[in-house]
Amino acid sequence: MKAARFESAPFLAPAAALLAVVTAVPMAYVVWLSLEVRTPFRAPAFVGLDNYLRLASDGRFWNALWNTAYFTAASVALELVLGLAVALAVARAGRTRALVYGAILVPWAIPTVVSARMWEWMYNPETGVLNYLLGARVNWLGDPTWALHAAIAMDVWKSTPFVALLLLAGLQGIPRDLYRAAATDGASAWTAFVRVTLPLLMPVILVAAVFRTIDALRVFDAVYVLTGGGPANGTETLSIYAYKVLFQTLDFGYGSALAVAMLAVAAAATLAYARLLREGAA
Amino acid sequence: MRAATDVTLLGRRRVALALGALSLGALAGGCGERNAGRAPGAVVLRHPKLFGDPRPLDTLLAGFERAAGVHVRRATLPASSDEQHLFYAINLQARSTEFDVLALDAIWAAEFAQAGWLRDLSHRLAAEERADLFPGPLAAVTWRGRVYALPWFADAGLLYYRTDLLERHHLAPPRTWDDLVAAAHAVTRAASDVHGFVWQGKQYEGLVCNALEFVWSHGGGLDEADVPAAARGLAFMRSLVTANVTPDYVTTLTEEPTRVAFGRGGALFLRNWPYAWRLFERADSPVRGRVGVSVLPHAPGAAPAATLGGWQLGVNAFSPRPEAAERLAAFLTAAPAQKALALAYGYSPPRRSLYADAELAAAQPFLPRLRAVLEAARPRPVSPHYVALSQTLQAEFSAVLVGERAPEAALAAIGRAAAALERR
Repeated sequence: MKAARFESAPFLAPAAALLAVVTAVPMAYVVWLSLEVRTPFRAPAFVGLDNYLRLASDGRFWNALWNTAYFTAASVALELVLGLAVALAVARAGRTRALVYGAILVPWAIPTVVSARMWEWMYNPETGVLNYLLGARVNWLGDPTWALHAAIAMDVWKSTPFVALLLLAGLQGIPRDLYRAAATDGASAWTAFVRVTLPLLMPVILVAAVFRTIDALRVFDAVYVLTGGGPANGTETLSIYAYKVLFQTLDFGYGSALAVAMLAVAAAATLAYARLLREGAA
Repeated sequence: MRAATDVTLLGRRRVALALGALSLGALAGGCGERNAGRAPGAVVLRHPKLFGDPRPLDTLLAGFERAAGVHVRRATLPASSDEQHLFYAINLQARSTEFDVLALDAIWAAEFAQAGWLRDLSHRLAAEERADLFPGPLAAVTWRGRVYALPWFADAGLLYYRTDLLERHHLAPPRTWDDLVAAAHAVTRAASDVHGFVWQGKQYEGLVCNALEFVWSHGGGLDEADVPAAARGLAFMRSLVTANVTPDYVTTLTEEPTRVAFGRGGALFLRNWPYAWRLFERADSPVRGRVGVSVLPHAPGAAPAATLGGWQLGVNAFSPRPEAAERLAAFLTAAPAQKALALAYGYSPPRRSLYADAELAAAQPFLPRLRAVLEAARPRPVSPHYVALSQTLQAEFSAVLVGERAPEAALAAIGRAAAALERR
């Protein structure tokens, strides 16, 4: 066993080296930066956990964390529900399936910045199509209660196809026999869905949830183009806050601490999902 | 577009030179790539993209080359303000010698000076020159009593109004904010498809410019002593929305959407920068010949105010040829060069004497009308921490504008943030 491990080392080395260079080293460097004061005006100095203490008492950080968590929870939940509905519908589409495939993928294929601009126009209170259709005068992006929800709606529109596609692949992996057996036992369509489809699809649902959660926690371009983080910081997510501190204020120490905090949040979410996946498998 | 071709050519040449320098460097033991990409002795000017033909600027620079006996090369900056700021910060922090003269946005001089990135140019600005400059641009380049950049051209917020709509209601152009509100109500009551007053209220740098104008024109400021008047200014800003003078979605508006709304006849009053004038007077503009401009209104007993924008020229503290660089900066910011640039591009010069220039007034009839506006222009807080402070200003002003925060609470939060930045 030991000998086998030793022999395999040279084969693993290139991959390990690549991972170290592109992931571990930059990540360690960000952690190191987060322990320093680094601004244009001062020589870099090691300050230990000062940046993290500042983070803990920074109202703007907690606001951004809340916005990010709310955005993530709402958008991922909606995307999973809608994505599942779309996948079930497409699975029954029969001969038109290829066409439907293409159609549902369009939002996912458009670059985020482009679709954000599109939505910005649709959200325009005076000339936008949304208020025209609703016959309302809603200030979608300029009202603190609406703005974050407007961003969530755009993200759901954009990412539901991705979830649908993953779930569709999962649906096709469920053996037909199980449904026939369920029908023989007199199960209704609903019972078959709850007892057959959902349990067998659960691993794929969790994988889709992991992908979407990590993406949503990092959300930047969609919200930044729509609102720039306003009004009143009502849509400022962790990424936007980190961007402003890193690339506008040039406060690399504190900005790195923000980045590490984001990493911690994403890691916690991933671990929680991993546990769910393991429990599902056991 | 010649500027664009220049840049690609430059890029290619730089790659070639860098490759050459690398191989040479290998031979010579690692030296030799330091000046890759520039003709020896050339002074490099970094400036924002020009609005128009680059030839007039090139002609100016060629004149300087002949007179001073040095080569000049110019290169444009990235498009967005964030990218420009980042470009300078990364290069200057690494003590770059890639450029000698740098164009600075109105809000950067104190930051760059404090970081030690700019040469002290106080000796390049004689007393009579200072007297000729408008006070705002001079204050923007002055940090701890020393001058770190030379004002190049100036921008300031001003009021655009529809002369035809005011005349129809027998109204004079507003002098005070009360006049403006009354006129807006009178006109919008009669024409429901016209907004009273549009300006920039999205949470971004433009909101800071607009909100400071409300604060200053009520006699306020961001210092503690000025808080009561500043709170009145912010309360007035909020009241524009609640009184239906300004549409509530002003919280999404930046310069261009407001310019477009006014330009298609959708608003009586507009606050914007001078660039909008030329677009309103184009042949296909629906409001052509029906637009007036003035300094922004003010509260009774307070002076009118405008937020200063524009550009200044500084000299890289690490420049290997500081003497020639300083001369180029002084040359480009002297009256003759500013006049040439104003003639070619309509850029408004920061010195009073040029507003009395008959040739300039004949070629750019709009310029003389800017004089009162630039006279009233004030810089945003001149502080090395301005960029960080601005993020707080944007969020707090936005919170006041949407009615989430009382003006006094926002000003107190701003005061705390400013104090924390000073300690850092």
